[in-house]
Amino acid sequence: MIINGLLCALASILVNGVDRVLAWQTFTRPIVTAPITGLLLGDLTTGIIMGASLEAIFMGISAIGGSIPADATAASIVAVAMTILTGADVETGLALAMPIGTIMATVNELWKPVLCSFAPYWEHLAEEGKVSTLRWQSIFCGIFLDKLPAHLIMFIAVAFGIEGLESVINTLPAWVMSGFSAASGMMTAVGFAILGSMIWSGEVGGFFFVGFVLAKFLNMGTLPIAIILAVVAVMYFLNDKKILDAKNEAMAAAGSSSGTSGNDSEDFF
Amino acid sequence: MLKFDYNDTEKKTLRKMYWNSGLVFCSFNQVKMEANAFCLTMAPALDELYSDPKERNLALKRHDNFFNTHAVLFAFIAGIAYALEKDKMTKGGVDDDTIESIKVALMGPTAGIGDAFFFNCVRVIAAGIGIGLCTTGNILGTLLFVLLYGGSQLVARYYLLRMGYSMGTSFIDSLFGTGLMQSLTKSASILGIGMVGAMVATMVNVKLSLPISVGDTSVELFSIIDSIMPGLASVALFFYLMHLIKKGVRPIYLVIGILVAAIAISFIGSLLGA
Repeated sequence: MIINGLLCALASILVNGVDRVLAWQTFTRPIVTAPITGLLLGDLTTGIIMGASLEAIFMGISAIGGSIPADATAASIVAVAMTILTGADVETGLALAMPIGTIMATVNELWKPVLCSFAPYWEHLAEEGKVSTLRWQSIFCGIFLDKLPAHLIMFIAVAFGIEGLESVINTLPAWVMSGFSAASGMMTAVGFAILGSMIWSGEVGGFFFVGFVLAKFLNMGTLPIAIILAVVAVMYFLNDKKILDAKNEAMAAAGSSSGTSGNDSEDFF
Repeated sequence: MLKFDYNDTEKKTLRKMYWNSGLVFCSFNQVKMEANAFCLTMAPALDELYSDPKERNLALKRHDNFFNTHAVLFAFIAGIAYALEKDKMTKGGVDDDTIESIKVALMGPTAGIGDAFFFNCVRVIAAGIGIGLCTTGNILGTLLFVLLYGGSQLVARYYLLRMGYSMGTSFIDSLFGTGLMQSLTKSASILGIGMVGAMVATMVNVKLSLPISVGDTSVELFSIIDSIMPGLASVALFFYLMHLIKKGVRPIYLVIGILVAAIAISFIGSLLGA
């Protein structure tokens, strides 16, 4: 079972790695993950057939906005592994998928603050201009570190069984879990604060609240909010342009009256 | 009309930028999200444009700021940023703040378009075709899915990077010399700061719970704050953090502080709630 555990961890590294390096969300979809797991474990056909069912199950679960309710990739790997290795029927394997996906989504949530702690290190590399270091370490991070808990758990789960995993999660006190998930929700504010401190000025600062209210109270999506703000921005811009044009015209008029006659200035009116 | 004929230097830079733009999710984290990938994508452009390594490093740091959008439309913004950086170096028409504001202003809308088009449209169509073939155990279903969903993203990213660069160049050229760059900066910051407000509303969650007992009844502190105004805690957190950053506190201390505070509050909350 150790070998099979390693193969499942390899499947996890492979699909996550390809997606990370190509900026895809393609290999981590069940329809690709399941056949790859099946291939590694020696039963491609089961993998393909389960891939179809798993993709249908997880299709509606979207990852928009960064929060994923269930980890479809991990769920697919474990479900396929269980079906092929224990000889269970496909339905049992599929029934396993959802709880695994939910557990893994929680584990991923716990891992996020750890990944956040790298942020200052990355910034330091950028500041020092160490681009090639930043590049290869980013790639390494994307392939191995980013989903490290998933890789490890794929190994443990397949090598030692799913029950052990559940009992570990259950022994964690509830406040640790809620603390971690609260922290990852608040850490996003650090990035926004850095951004805000760069573009904030008294003149435009009020529009922060316009955006906030439109999103929070009217539940508008980013695109309609952007359109509204763009209209305001264009109005500001055109207004400024008018003032500038008037200023230029006044200056040109002052210039031409003292100099030669306005023959060379192309006046439309 | 957009021009798509580039000289050899531009071609080389764009090609390098393309491969680096694939690293969007590599060192993704909740604090700065896709910042490292944007910094890496801009690195070949900055190498081309900046001769002074000190200035180049400052520019790299600038592009390592918070960034988040759809992985494919990402390249479009990088293309525009390349054009803006080039204009800054060759004509001095744009400044750092303008570049940053335009980046921020474009993040939200491009994310929306990308998710709607690739995630909710192309992916669903590709998966639909794939599932049909896969149920019969045909590997062609998987291959078609990769080709349609993955392939379309690669091709789109390639052209969007070039489109961003060409559009950025022609756009700036038409503005340059009219003295409107300052007005553009202001307009872009309006859009930018507004989008930051919208993103703070949707992406920053203060999910803490702290029951406070008043006599026999206990009240939930954070739900009271929320009932005054939904998201008030997020706004307060944002402004407090911004205040600290302006004072020069390093982001790592803020991250650690938030983690410690969240676990501590959650622990105290569990004691009070018991």
